[in-house]
Amino acid sequence: MRVRAKVIKVKAGVFITSLFMSLCALMIVEAYAQQEGREKAEALSKEAAALFDEGNINKAIEVAGEAVKADPNSPEAYDQLGQMLLKDGKTDEAVKAFDSALNINPKLRTARTGKGLALLKKGDTTGAEAVLKEALTLNPYPSMAHYALGLVYEKLNDYEKAAAHFKEGIKTYKSGKK
Amino acid sequence: MRGFTGKEKVAVIQLMLILIGVTVVFFTCTATAQALLQVGTQAPEFSLKDIEGKEASLSQYSKSRGVALLFWSTWSANSPKALKKFEAFYRKYKDRGIQVIAINADNQALSNEDVEKLKKLVKDLDLTFPILLDRGLKTFHEYSTIALPSTVIISEGKIAYELAGLPLVGTEDMFDFLLVMAGEPPRKKFEPKYRPRHDAIADAGLARGFVKKKKYEMAYPLFLKAIEKDPQFTLPYIELAKLYETEGRNAEAEGILKKALSTGPENVVAASELGYLLAKTGRLQEATEILGKAAKVNSYTPAHYYLAYALGMGGRLKESLSAFEQALSLNPFEPTTYMLRAEVYEKHKMMKESASDYRKALELILKIKG
Repeated sequence: MRVRAKVIKVKAGVFITSLFMSLCALMIVEAYAQQEGREKAEALSKEAAALFDEGNINKAIEVAGEAVKADPNSPEAYDQLGQMLLKDGKTDEAVKAFDSALNINPKLRTARTGKGLALLKKGDTTGAEAVLKEALTLNPYPSMAHYALGLVYEKLNDYEKAAAHFKEGIKTYKSGKK
Repeated sequence: MRGFTGKEKVAVIQLMLILIGVTVVFFTCTATAQALLQVGTQAPEFSLKDIEGKEASLSQYSKSRGVALLFWSTWSANSPKALKKFEAFYRKYKDRGIQVIAINADNQALSNEDVEKLKKLVKDLDLTFPILLDRGLKTFHEYSTIALPSTVIISEGKIAYELAGLPLVGTEDMFDFLLVMAGEPPRKKFEPKYRPRHDAIADAGLARGFVKKKKYEMAYPLFLKAIEKDPQFTLPYIELAKLYETEGRNAEAEGILKKALSTGPENVVAASELGYLLAKTGRLQEATEILGKAAKVNSYTPAHYYLAYALGMGGRLKESLSAFEQALSLNPFEPTTYMLRAEVYEKHKMMKESASDYRKALELILKIKG
């Protein structure tokens, strides 16, 4: 009986050890896959940015979409896609992309400002104002958020407030806070 | 140049270039504004794509005797004329080591359609030199371009000559400078006058570096040294005055700008900065007089927008807006023009126009295509 018990113990030990080893191997493989995905996404993001700079917006959006697929956990990839869609006037899709970025990282200032701009383009000035005010409080580099809020107030014909925000945007940029 | 040996020919050409460069730089009013600030300094390196998408950089032409950079745009009336003149020159002198490069500065961002339009223009004008696209206008700003078209001539990596606009006399002198660079004799005789001293350029450069790092105490003595070494060199006066102003020492800023003006009453850069300083401190009549003279001299954009500001703050709105238009026709990418006009509108309680101009200024600063 004692021998049998020992054998069972050894077998259990071997089983647990192999299970642990397999899990480790699985984690390593996954980490490698993630790393690979991140690297691929980074390369695709760079390619998208270059295409965008060259004025090839449709292709840039396509490549930015591939970057999102390569690393679905990257808020920056969603943000880049959102900015390009926004530039292309596809505001609904842009809001979706910014929301995906903000779900992963709610403090991503560029995505919040981008969402505000997209809502403004859609004509939702109230929504845009709320999102951009939030962006302003979160944002240590608020020139862009001031710019977007200035646009909101310009749309609302409140030119005093619009001028004040644009001026503040210029001031913060000059003081080194972009 | 018959009877000269090869080495003598090179020496004679170099001497002629120095004589012409120095004289033209000093006497060509239109060139003066920029030239006094940049001639003799290192030409900023750039790497830009041409209209076919091929990369080109300044350093790849380092073996040329001279490189002429022509900043141009499709919206400036004189740019096609400038391109044609350079094409004619290039066809004749490209084999003599003179490289012409046209840098398009149409807008912050260029769409594929914009590029197609540029290609058509290049074909129509039958241009054979490289046409580079300055997306984001980085190179345009690095060369402190104040008007379009503008030409910068580079020799041995340094800025040898600058010309803002395409003025009749100034343009002829500039092509004379290029002709001599290509080994031709000059059309007219020039007397040598002035060239900034190398050690003064070096001190001013060091001082500017300290200003960038906000090490102001280190910058002050170096600017003063540069002025002492070469009292005719404008750059250190202007930079020192700006530094004084940054630190709220307006009286000292005014003093140093007046000193710069006393060395050359035609110094449009010093006059413009002095006029603006006076306008900001409420001495509007004095400012308007100084700036009015500076704006008449040439196409130095700041003279026009500072004059516009002084006029506007003094209640002369109609004249002010017209002067702002003049500044914008020279350079529509200068955020300061919009900022100052916004301030003028604000003063006149025209808040819609003011907000719109502050927006345009911020869009230019943040490189957002409006």
